[in-house]
Amino acid sequence: MIETMFGSLFVMLTTPKIMGLMLVAVVIGIIVGATPGIGGRLSIALAIPFVFGMDMIAGSVFLLTMHAVNGTSGQISSIMFGVPGDGDDAATTLDGYPMAQKGEAGRALGASVTASGFGGIVGAVVFALMIPVLEPVVLAFSPAEFFLLAVFGITLIAFLAGSASIFKGIIVGLYGMMLATVGMDPQTGTARFAGDYLFLWDGISLVTAVLALFAVPEMIALGVRGGSISSVSREAARFSYRQLFHGVLEVPRHWWLALRTSVIGAVIGMIPGLGGSAAAWMCYGHAVQTSKHPERFGHGAVEGVIAPETASNAKEGGSLLPTLFFGIPGSSGMAVMMGAFLILGIQPGPAMLTQHLDVVWTLIWALVVGNVMAVIILLVLTRWVALLTFVNGAMLVPFIFVLVALGTYVSEGRWENMLVLVALSAIGYGLLRANWPRAPFVIGLVLGKIAEESLHKALQLWGMEFFLRPLSLVLIALITVTVAYAVYQNIRPSKVRQPMGASP
Amino acid sequence: MKAGGSAMTVVMLAIFVAMVIVANGYPAGARFMPFVVGIPAIGLCVLELVLDVRRRRESATALPAAAPPTAVEDHEAPLSPQQTLRRELVLWAYFLSLIGGILLFGFWLTIPVFLAAFLRFQAGASWTRALLMSAVTLALLFAVFEQAFRIELHPGFVTEYLQDRLGDGS
Repeated sequence: MIETMFGSLFVMLTTPKIMGLMLVAVVIGIIVGATPGIGGRLSIALAIPFVFGMDMIAGSVFLLTMHAVNGTSGQISSIMFGVPGDGDDAATTLDGYPMAQKGEAGRALGASVTASGFGGIVGAVVFALMIPVLEPVVLAFSPAEFFLLAVFGITLIAFLAGSASIFKGIIVGLYGMMLATVGMDPQTGTARFAGDYLFLWDGISLVTAVLALFAVPEMIALGVRGGSISSVSREAARFSYRQLFHGVLEVPRHWWLALRTSVIGAVIGMIPGLGGSAAAWMCYGHAVQTSKHPERFGHGAVEGVIAPETASNAKEGGSLLPTLFFGIPGSSGMAVMMGAFLILGIQPGPAMLTQHLDVVWTLIWALVVGNVMAVIILLVLTRWVALLTFVNGAMLVPFIFVLVALGTYVSEGRWENMLVLVALSAIGYGLLRANWPRAPFVIGLVLGKIAEESLHKALQLWGMEFFLRPLSLVLIALITVTVAYAVYQNIRPSKVRQPMGASP
Repeated sequence: MKAGGSAMTVVMLAIFVAMVIVANGYPAGARFMPFVVGIPAIGLCVLELVLDVRRRRESATALPAAAPPTAVEDHEAPLSPQQTLRRELVLWAYFLSLIGGILLFGFWLTIPVFLAAFLRFQAGASWTRALLMSAVTLALLFAVFEQAFRIELHPGFVTEYLQDRLGDGS
């Protein structure tokens, strides 16, 4: 394994094409992260058409690097203007913005960028350390467990994403699974829900579905809102490099906190659905609880910037683990990433450990190298990247629409997918307007095919008795407990119901 | 509880019911998965509708509560429902025009027209800026897809028809 581990790093560092792609991915990731209105998963979906024709290593490294550095630049608006780009950055606002108000914007940015990079690297290390531990567990899984794991994954993600009602989350997840059945049934050769439309025989295009459910509704919502996220003066975006350097030094000064929150973030990332927002808030709380001076938090404590930033970037390494080895995406961003992996020919599952360990190690190193690159670039360019937060949302919308149309067409080269895009976009916008979670849809769509395939295999191997396998019983128990708790949460009087802080 | 939430539940219920009915006509092996997914989904939609009614009753009897704090600060005045609806319709019209334009006239004709129109009339850019940005974007996309990737984009039905007619005529 050591040979594979360092061999992957050597190949990556000595291949100019890969390093060049990573550099491009880091720059795009930073721009996308700092620009209001474009989230991580949206950027992956939009980038998928551009990785067609790349080999699996180059394409996956490009997309993962872009996704990994997204959050590093996302906190700029939180600190400079008190306006978080997304849920992941909201915790950073609590202390980052007061620091900026006190004239310490550079220090806060230096600390947050370095903490993000540090978190990303520790997340990758935690993932790497988990490989030998998880190997026997993953290899013990049979088709029966993979089917139940898919069901458990959807249940868990629906539970965590559906803050108002778990049923809504599960319904959306099942809708994704239902759409996964569209097309030729591999068992009987029946064209399900496709009629005479040949383009549907291969199923619903994942790229089209993701763009329809996320990109189009988000852009329409952004267009409706209009305006840039920042209404403060551009003068506020100015600070000295000396301040930035002082901020960088805050991370080694608080190394023990940064390490703890990074590990917590990586572990939270491994739990499907919890996402960066929960990781950031939990680690912010941890920093407050363990501080000797908790009264400083909320008034510009640098630990309040370091803790959430390390956690939200460390969770990317953690969420890659269930995505690659179990085929259960750790977050909605990872669900889109998993779809991209499938398009590139990477089939998540136990084979990643037995046959494609080199790919796994390359992805781990991509997280490490990508984060280092992002920190260096951002420390030099933060001052200019901050200006992106002044971009008018209405100016972005038409360009994203064009990229959506291109992505939809290029993914399969079929004009009919445009019609599917319009139909699914209407449903996606309906879900957004009604405040329903959309992440379970992608996970359902991705897991639907895996679940059906595993179910048929399990039934052929053990008949209906596959439910009685020991590992299956454990998973059934977990599904039952999750659903029972959710039912309790929904049925009990609403005055005692607490909303859950999870990403959509 | 917003009525919009219930409307979405009804839409989802209709989709699942329709798909289960269609799946009923398939051979046993082919309808197995749609049934495994669809039937519980129908049950959940019905349960969600019941819960919606219950929540509406509860909120009708409860005292009005203060609005919860939002994560993102809103610097602008909130839009009225009419303004929101109008903006939504305009944006949907732009989106549908883009898709319709691509299907009829192809990517290379539709993209610059769509970008220029949107930037000028919706984003408030000047004509010069709108045309310049459209031209630069078109050039970039052409370089990436036509020159680098050699991907032939949809030419458009009308464009194709006209090209055929002109080809026949010459």
